[in-house]
Amino acid sequence: MSTNILSAFIKTFKRELKRIGSRPIYFLGTVGVMFFCYIFFLTFMKEGQPIRMPIAVVDFDNSSLSRQFLRNLDATQQAEIVTHLNSYTEARKEMQKGNIYAFVVIKDNFEAEVMANRRPKMTFYVNDAYLVAGSLLLKDITYMSELTAGAMKQKVLKAKGMEDSRIMGIIQPISLDTHLIGNPWANYGVYLLNVLLPGVLQIMILMLTVFAIGVELKEKTSRLWLRTADNSMFAALMGKLMPYTIIFTILGIIGNMLLYWYMGYPMNSHIGWMFLTTFLYVMAYQAVGTLIIGITPVLRDGVTLAAFYGLLGFTYAGFTFPIEQLPYIAQIFSELFPIRYYFKIYVNQALNGLSIGYSVDYLIALLAFTVLPLFVYIRLKKAAIYQNYPIK
Amino acid sequence: MKNSKEDRSQFLRIISHIRAMFYIFIDEVKNIFKDRGVVILVILAVLVYPLLYCSLYINETLVDVPVAVVDESHTPKSAEFSRHLDATRDVHVAEKMATMQEAEQVFKEGKVHGIIYIPADFDKKLNKGEQAVVSVYSDMSSFLYYRAMVLSTNYVVLDMGEEIQVARLNAIGITGEQQAMVSDPIPYESVILYNEGMGFASFLMPAILILIIHQTLFFGIGMAAGTAREENRFHELVSSSVHRGGTFRVILGKSLDFFSLYLLWSVYLLGFIPWLFNLPHIGNPFTLLEFVIPFLLASIFFSMTVSVFVPSREIQMILLLFFSLILLFLSGISWPQSSINGFCKAFSWLFPATFGIQAYFKINTMGASIHKVGFEQIGLWIQTAVYFATTLLVYHWQIKKSIVKSKKDLEE
Repeated sequence: MSTNILSAFIKTFKRELKRIGSRPIYFLGTVGVMFFCYIFFLTFMKEGQPIRMPIAVVDFDNSSLSRQFLRNLDATQQAEIVTHLNSYTEARKEMQKGNIYAFVVIKDNFEAEVMANRRPKMTFYVNDAYLVAGSLLLKDITYMSELTAGAMKQKVLKAKGMEDSRIMGIIQPISLDTHLIGNPWANYGVYLLNVLLPGVLQIMILMLTVFAIGVELKEKTSRLWLRTADNSMFAALMGKLMPYTIIFTILGIIGNMLLYWYMGYPMNSHIGWMFLTTFLYVMAYQAVGTLIIGITPVLRDGVTLAAFYGLLGFTYAGFTFPIEQLPYIAQIFSELFPIRYYFKIYVNQALNGLSIGYSVDYLIALLAFTVLPLFVYIRLKKAAIYQNYPIK
Repeated sequence: MKNSKEDRSQFLRIISHIRAMFYIFIDEVKNIFKDRGVVILVILAVLVYPLLYCSLYINETLVDVPVAVVDESHTPKSAEFSRHLDATRDVHVAEKMATMQEAEQVFKEGKVHGIIYIPADFDKKLNKGEQAVVSVYSDMSSFLYYRAMVLSTNYVVLDMGEEIQVARLNAIGITGEQQAMVSDPIPYESVILYNEGMGFASFLMPAILILIIHQTLFFGIGMAAGTAREENRFHELVSSSVHRGGTFRVILGKSLDFFSLYLLWSVYLLGFIPWLFNLPHIGNPFTLLEFVIPFLLASIFFSMTVSVFVPSREIQMILLLFFSLILLFLSGISWPQSSINGFCKAFSWLFPATFGIQAYFKINTMGASIHKVGFEQIGLWIQTAVYFATTLLVYHWQIKKSIVKSKKDLEE
């Protein structure tokens, strides 16, 4: 019995390999898309953080003090002064055009007022519609202003004959020492790509699983498929899906290696855990894909449903907007997405370097997804035999 | 007399052109509604996606992120620090621990997303007039956690610091005007423009809304073309019965119904949804209309050009769904355009979504007038022209192919 299933499995496996070779979609949908994304995103974000973002200044004072401040500002990593403008209105227009992300206005007589202890005000405007650019620039400009003011304070207090340790105590009585766990330089690539690339992988797994099964129904080759597997649905499914398990696991592990070895992104425990996670992740999504085409054994509907579910995965991974901050009802659904568990394991293992014990539950959750095809097992078999669903 | 006759026949010819176009229009509308897959894309998805995504991101910012405070100082001052922190909107002191090990443990268990460590010498240093240091450890799994930690701790440090500073300056006899000079010689004010609440949905959703238009058109038109091909005996895109009117008319007829449908959708997506969910919506409706026209045309002709190469109805979505993500990043709203390299930028100009997202962002979020988005506007019109030409070309080629085929068929 079991040897029969094994030989049926091998026959189906071989048949599927032939099918993969017969149409470009299989190659494009696996290696093609994944390599395109690896190359695209890794070059796109190789800087880690956006640097030298354009800002403008409206310097009514044009004194040595204001110029010094602007020089310092220009020297920060994130800001680059690209233009000097003559009015607030002009600067605002440039901002609306999207040419600058922020601008600083320095009043007339700025230096003179500083010298006369009249405390002139400096204003900066930051466009936070572009949230990333805005936040980074706000941080940079605030920092520079604090630094400039700090130097000023220091000078005054020194003139009073105060010692350095006391001076710091007055300028800034409490200071913060901030540690960014796992990603000390706030690298955006680390933050985004660790989830985006597996995110693309899950889309392709879903799509190709739905396609590989659905196209048999659509083109009415499903009886042949089943016959190759000696009418064992189990062997038919395993033989069909296994080639993709192998391909996608290899592609996923290449992704892991690119991130943790080539890019040098944080990997604070053993990389083997991520390899294992990737393998389970691939199987989990294949199971979901099988479930989808089982629920609606019509290729077109299956693809649409899989697309909807796959795109939601980016939200439900919870890396941009944390899940526990979503509306309560929406939070529940996060359990239904393998990418959620992948993300948790990645955070625990790669970012925070915890012992694997903290991730065992999530690994088991990924494994649990693999029982999903059982729910559509009979339905799918019937569909394969009777071919009674519309093909359009 | 002769002249008016000519006019008349001219007039009739125009009428017949319009009538033929109208038939193609009606035909296509029927085709769209006959095809469940296309209806799901261009009706259901467009209706539901924005509602779904806006509801998911309805909490624009993080509120009360749980953190642990490790207070080794055990003094009224350190307790005050912890209390102030808890009072901020961004974080909530969920756990108070005696040691760092305990805090690390709850962090590992995922119960808190940050640790604030107040050292034993906190109070001593404050009493001695020195600088006290508080350590902050932030979860970096989501940058929004990091931002919540930075915003809240900075606020507390400045707030408490100011009080202490005043007391210290008073103690050494620096008061009044001079005190202000020392504590704040160059006051600065940071003004956040356009997304004052620094909200996540306000930032992301405008781009998503444009992408919904672009992508449902792209896949919808592609699927319709795939269907046409599959149902046709010769696997042709345009059946021989329709092409009598000439390529030009076929294209206009086909594009017109997607255009009119999506003009209605634009009101819903770009006007109603932002209003309903209180996303930024300061754009002038006429400016928006002026932008939407070339954006829709460019997207439609772009999709029609690509659709010629779609062999079957599902393949386009299977292979290109992931591209929605690429388009989002190429648009330059999250990763700033200034940091996108020349090659990627040029590549991004191929897609109407790039100009569409930027223009919509500038008009509706930042209140730009139409000439402030001149660059995008020109880009969209150029795309409209170019993709119309390519559509004409590829459709012409398809129609010619089908004529040749049907002739052959007749001869046989």
